[in-house]
Amino acid sequence: MTTLRKAVVVGGNRIPFARANGAYAMTSNQDMLTAALDGLVARYGLQDERIGEVAAGAVLKHSRDFNLTREAVLGSALSPETPAYDVQQACATGLETVLGLCDKIKLGRIDSGVAGGVDSASDAPIVVSEGLRHALLELARAKTAQQKLKALSKIRPRDVAPVAPGTNEPRTGLSMGEHQALTTAQWNISREAQDELALSSHRNLAEAYERGFFDDLMTPYRGLTRDANMRPDTSMEKLGSLKTVFGRQLGDEATMTAGNSTPLTDGASTVLLASEEWAESRDLPILAEVVDGEAAAVDFVHGKDGLLMAPVFAVPRLLGRLGLTFEDIDYFEIHEAFAATVLCHLAAWEDEEFCRERLGLDGAFGKVDRAKLNVNGSSLAAGHPFAATGGRIVAVLAKQLHERGSVGGRPARGLISVCAAGGLGVAAVLEAR
Amino acid sequence: MSAPARGLETVELPEMPSLARLYVAAARDAAKKLVGKATARASLPNARHHVVGIRPDLIKMTEYQTLLGEAKRDIAPAGYVHTLAFPAAMSVMGREDFPLPLLGMVHLSNHVEYRVPIFYGDLLDVTAWAEKLEGHRSGTQVALVVEVQHAGNDDVAWRGVSTYLAKGVYLPGTDKPGLNGQRDEFRPPLPTAMWSLDSETGRDYAAVSGDFNPIHLSSISARALGMRRSIAHGMYTASRALAEVGSQKGDTFTWDVTFEAPVFLPARVCLNIKDAVDGGGAWEESEFVGWNPSSGRRHFRGTVTRL
Repeated sequence: MTTLRKAVVVGGNRIPFARANGAYAMTSNQDMLTAALDGLVARYGLQDERIGEVAAGAVLKHSRDFNLTREAVLGSALSPETPAYDVQQACATGLETVLGLCDKIKLGRIDSGVAGGVDSASDAPIVVSEGLRHALLELARAKTAQQKLKALSKIRPRDVAPVAPGTNEPRTGLSMGEHQALTTAQWNISREAQDELALSSHRNLAEAYERGFFDDLMTPYRGLTRDANMRPDTSMEKLGSLKTVFGRQLGDEATMTAGNSTPLTDGASTVLLASEEWAESRDLPILAEVVDGEAAAVDFVHGKDGLLMAPVFAVPRLLGRLGLTFEDIDYFEIHEAFAATVLCHLAAWEDEEFCRERLGLDGAFGKVDRAKLNVNGSSLAAGHPFAATGGRIVAVLAKQLHERGSVGGRPARGLISVCAAGGLGVAAVLEAR
Repeated sequence: MSAPARGLETVELPEMPSLARLYVAAARDAAKKLVGKATARASLPNARHHVVGIRPDLIKMTEYQTLLGEAKRDIAPAGYVHTLAFPAAMSVMGREDFPLPLLGMVHLSNHVEYRVPIFYGDLLDVTAWAEKLEGHRSGTQVALVVEVQHAGNDDVAWRGVSTYLAKGVYLPGTDKPGLNGQRDEFRPPLPTAMWSLDSETGRDYAAVSGDFNPIHLSSISARALGMRRSIAHGMYTASRALAEVGSQKGDTFTWDVTFEAPVFLPARVCLNIKDAVDGGGAWEESEFVGWNPSSGRRHFRGTVTRL
């Protein structure tokens, strides 16, 4: 096999994440992505620089934003000669932009790249109903006055109501929370365990802010300097007092609350990637190397696996290919779509029967040391603007690995996994530089 | 043509009858019976109804596929063939010599064998007759058989058997109710999907299927026939479950459904679909069941099986 050159993380920049209908209620995806991008440009001196390629995306996207990333580049301080493209892979969008650009860097097609993602749950694309849409399309096709009248006559009162985007899975009609509630029940994850995970997410994020960890990872925006969802003073009592919101219709004891599920959030993130030569020639830092990545998908439609369980399959495949086990990982960044999602993943990797029958392994894959899990907080505390989460995690992990340096004579190593709608999951391994 | 239909006299229909007209005639008939004294008859018409030159229409098929969530393939969905062909069976039920009242009949179960794919635009012949007039614990049941053939081809491409119950009608000489009254206790499994059915569901399905039975159209028309509210068509729920079994079922299969508690609209219906594979890992069967998440009552259950 040809030896590929390395792709490294130079740094990252994001705007603080806001709760939906909060500080960013009046800003669009393009506005937020441009703000995050401009912060990155300022931090690494990239004004008027022609970057190899910028890749980003949004999950909830207006049809007019068909070229969202390119438009954000044109509105940014980067050279207008910087090419860009959009990626959309539900909540894995951000991590996939990183992996795709790193592959291009490794192959020598580009020397530098900016990966990113943005989402707004506030400025959501509301569309007209299917009935109205079909009538309007027929009207556009109509040639005679009579045909036009006929098209208009098909519009019924109920067609006039606008349609907001839902979070329901198209093939099951169940929301993501309801899907997770089913998996939570299957894996017997307790309310207390979920609340504990949520609590450490808030505490870890708050501690990271306290020690200034985010100072060079974030650009204040619209009055926000920290993630608006973070509750440094939350407690098991407070989390325990919240009402359950998912799984109440499903016949099992509900355990999932607004406290142990991610809220709807607005925000954007970016990551600067490069070849070692490109970074060195510009005297830029190198935080970590992006070693490898793996995508997986599960057959959730008739319940063979849970909707958000794909990372359980992606991670062992990825580590297996690299000849690694959980013992070789110093930091685990497992995206907290719901506290229960993370706990289901951990439970599955520890389950001998599941690992043998579903993952084709000899026994349990392994146990994640909880002291190494989401050490700087994750989505439960920071919030989860869908496509922006991957970029947030890559930047945080790269910086953490760089700070740690080496472990027992080898570079510190981190694992990322992100679950996504449609039964998708993407994982990646990074190493300290 | 199946053996039981051979002894029957064939009645050629000039075109596929309109269900709307059949319902109006049935209502008139029901009114007459309130005045006069109906003679109870314990035998089925000695006739099969035959219609030639039926053709699935692309636009109507597409509307059906959109509503039921079927992939928009060029092959007619099994449930769409039912909507095309069943009016022939309804015309048998609307005959003077049919022993049960057409209005108010309850759809108990439905069996379909889809043996040869039917494409839109294919020219089809439809034959329908009634058989198996039997006692049921709460009335009398009858099976309506419909067979669809490609024009000029003796092979049955699609065969449906719809079993209906005339509640409270007991005919002299029909069998006494057997063990069909026994129902197993239902414990809802974890759902794999959930449907949110709005109050338009009955009217929407009527528009694509032509089945304008008043119990499905509005609360007022349903109440006129003794229902609390309008109910979803059984075949809507069965056809949607069939669509959700997905592409694994292939083009030819057997599709069975048994209807239980009616779905009063609007409604949330929980669905569980369980797939079974053979030794080689290939799809063999999917079992489906639908229930009310609040009451836990089962609405329907069935299977889709490899032919």
